[in-house]
Amino acid sequence: MSAAGAVEHALARLRPAGAALRARPAAAVHDALADVLDAWSAPDSPWQSALAAELPEPTGFSPQTLREGLARGLAGYTGTALRALVRSELGGPETLDATGRRRVHGFETTATVLGGALPLPALVALLAPLALRSPVLVKPAVYDPSTARLFARSLAERDPLLGACVEIVDFRRDDAAAMAALGRADCVVATGSDAAVAAIGAAVAPSRRFVAHGHRVSLTLLGPEATRGAACEHHAAAIALDVALWDQLGCLSPVSVTVADPAAGAADRVAEALGAALARLETSMPRGRIAPAAAAAIVDERAQAEVRAAGGLQVRVLASPGTSWTVVREADAQPRPAPLHRFVRVHPAADPACAVAALQSRHPPLAAVAIAGFGAAEAALASRLLELGASRVCAPGALQTPPLAWPRGGFGVLTPLARHSSDERTL
Amino acid sequence: MTPNAEATEHHGAQGPDPARAALDARVLAWLREPLSAQDAAPPDDERFDELARTLFGFQFEHCVPYRRFCEARGRTPANLQRWSEIPAIPAAAFKELPLRSFSRERICRVFRTSGTTATQRGALALDTLELYEASLLPSFRRGVLPDLGPGARARLRILAPAPDDAPDSSLSHMFGVVLRELGDERSGFDVRDGALDVRGLHAALVAACDDGVPVALCGTAFAFVHLLDAFAARGVRLVLPPGSRVMETGGFKGRARELPRAQLYEAIATSLGVAPDRILNQYGMTELASQFYDSVLCLPGSPRRKLAPPWTRVRILDPERGEEAAPGAVGIVQIFDLANTGSILAIQTADLGRTLAGGFDVLGREAGAEARGCSQAADELFGA
Repeated sequence: MSAAGAVEHALARLRPAGAALRARPAAAVHDALADVLDAWSAPDSPWQSALAAELPEPTGFSPQTLREGLARGLAGYTGTALRALVRSELGGPETLDATGRRRVHGFETTATVLGGALPLPALVALLAPLALRSPVLVKPAVYDPSTARLFARSLAERDPLLGACVEIVDFRRDDAAAMAALGRADCVVATGSDAAVAAIGAAVAPSRRFVAHGHRVSLTLLGPEATRGAACEHHAAAIALDVALWDQLGCLSPVSVTVADPAAGAADRVAEALGAALARLETSMPRGRIAPAAAAAIVDERAQAEVRAAGGLQVRVLASPGTSWTVVREADAQPRPAPLHRFVRVHPAADPACAVAALQSRHPPLAAVAIAGFGAAEAALASRLLELGASRVCAPGALQTPPLAWPRGGFGVLTPLARHSSDERTL
Repeated sequence: MTPNAEATEHHGAQGPDPARAALDARVLAWLREPLSAQDAAPPDDERFDELARTLFGFQFEHCVPYRRFCEARGRTPANLQRWSEIPAIPAAAFKELPLRSFSRERICRVFRTSGTTATQRGALALDTLELYEASLLPSFRRGVLPDLGPGARARLRILAPAPDDAPDSSLSHMFGVVLRELGDERSGFDVRDGALDVRGLHAALVAACDDGVPVALCGTAFAFVHLLDAFAARGVRLVLPPGSRVMETGGFKGRARELPRAQLYEAIATSLGVAPDRILNQYGMTELASQFYDSVLCLPGSPRRKLAPPWTRVRILDPERGEEAAPGAVGIVQIFDLANTGSILAIQTADLGRTLAGGFDVLGREAGAEARGCSQAADELFGA
């Protein structure tokens, strides 16, 4: 059978399964999903272990990075967190059961096209439609064939109907017929590069709901209280962890640190402490395998930084012998390319306003910003960053542990996948 | 530092540094030796090494930013053992620094890299065009017109602007020299006012078909895409006379439509009647005086690879180890070009490649590959 045929058959199987799921009270569905999440988030979770064992080869992440990333990321993905999410976004499970004038439902079918190698977004991508009692068709990412499959199995073990509400069909993203078939789901969610997401969107009929998660970046801003002594060491270690988890490939991975401290040597101190922390992590949590193109990009950016230094700018390159980690102390706050894979730039800025102005000058699509060391000015800075488009502001070290309710990309978790309706007749 | 501070105006100047003049003379002598004789002999590594080390010493002394770059890497003429140890400067450095080994007053021409993004363009300042032209002609002739007899001229149609229309384009200059030296009276440029003159080019190609004169159609890859689209829209298909050939160069960055090279060649074959084994790629860049051509026309029947002129060397660098990659392994392309006497002879490109028997291959940067993460590896993001 062609991939397009497999997609069509999968959608056909999902429709009756979804109808059966919607016949259940939403709270019962959430109870089952909560049990599954608790099974995944437990420190001794066999599901985590299974995933950590399977993913090093296809994703390229080191086993240590995977174990650490899964343990930290999943710790907050509990049944309690799911119930809190349902309450905060929908008002409670009863909203989904309501038959009154205002209703909220999941779609008859949801299809999700996963991208990248990070497992946690994949898990949420399956969970969210099911919480709305919408069955979900999953096209796994090239680099992660395991997360969707293991999560589906854990659902089926807890509740066979939930298991029947997940179908996994793999095909190449450039298989236009299969993508068109997937685009006939009532709601389509796509994750990937902006170009990939746009290509998927083109296959979705305008009458369908399309939710796109393109690429974004995260950053860190440090103020004067975070650039000296023990505070500097502490925050550098936290930033290094944010960078090293998922090898800086997640949209919550910081690509740069802006040191908004006019004191002499502040950026250098942060750069040195960050380099030392990344070097330590390379021992305990080594960076994974990377493609020659990625390694070449790192080498090229390092050499370009050396050129700027040779030109008289106050630029320094602190780096591992291979390409495992790199810190470039830049001369200004101007954003520069981010080759990722544990490559961080440290930019000096005279004050938070200058740091924010540099962000605005080329306004990248922001995911999150970690900030520390601004004292009383921190609240105002956080507010400004949220205005600039960040969907999270947090402390360094917390970037890779977003709550389940994190409004990724500025969307809610559940509401973009929900169908809202109202009956406005006068009775 | 004054980034990219090369003047575009031409200056009069006194004569060159005697050491430089001597170096130029030695390199020119090599460039002017018949390529066919050199191809028949083993590469002269000793000659290359001696000239490269001498040139490095000169550039180290006369180009201050390059000297600082080398010193930061612990490399000086005093501790250099072999040409392969010469620090290669990234091509992007030409966007940041004036990398020349002569005074500003001696600049006679500035070539700039193509500006397909919002960012700064790289600038190569030259104080002489003699080496540039002496290098480009034999390589072009070997790569594109290996069958052209002594004193003969070929029908060349160029899908690029003429030098007067693009005075800072090294590619246009190259084509101008080629046309002047090797083109017949009906050869010419087919890009005018920044646009491909489809009608004019069509007429020229039909005339060549009527006359039974083989055509060498040369241009940028994206110009060929425009041509193919225009011909397709008009329902035009030609079969160019036997002996015709196509040379394409450059990438697609920032252009509206990209085509994988194999697909481009198939489309050219369909639209122009030139078989894929008579279509070749030229690998070159503004920062280099020399160019590298596919072997398909000069070594027909043998595997396609890029041939390096004898006065150049190509290293494929393992990015992790910083050493030469194993044969066939993918790595960073570094070019050492003795014809770059006035700038920097060792250039680290942003391209990936691999060595092949008797040459090398340049690979794409995984265009179209699915991203491994949801963070943007940010060329496009920050406008590299």
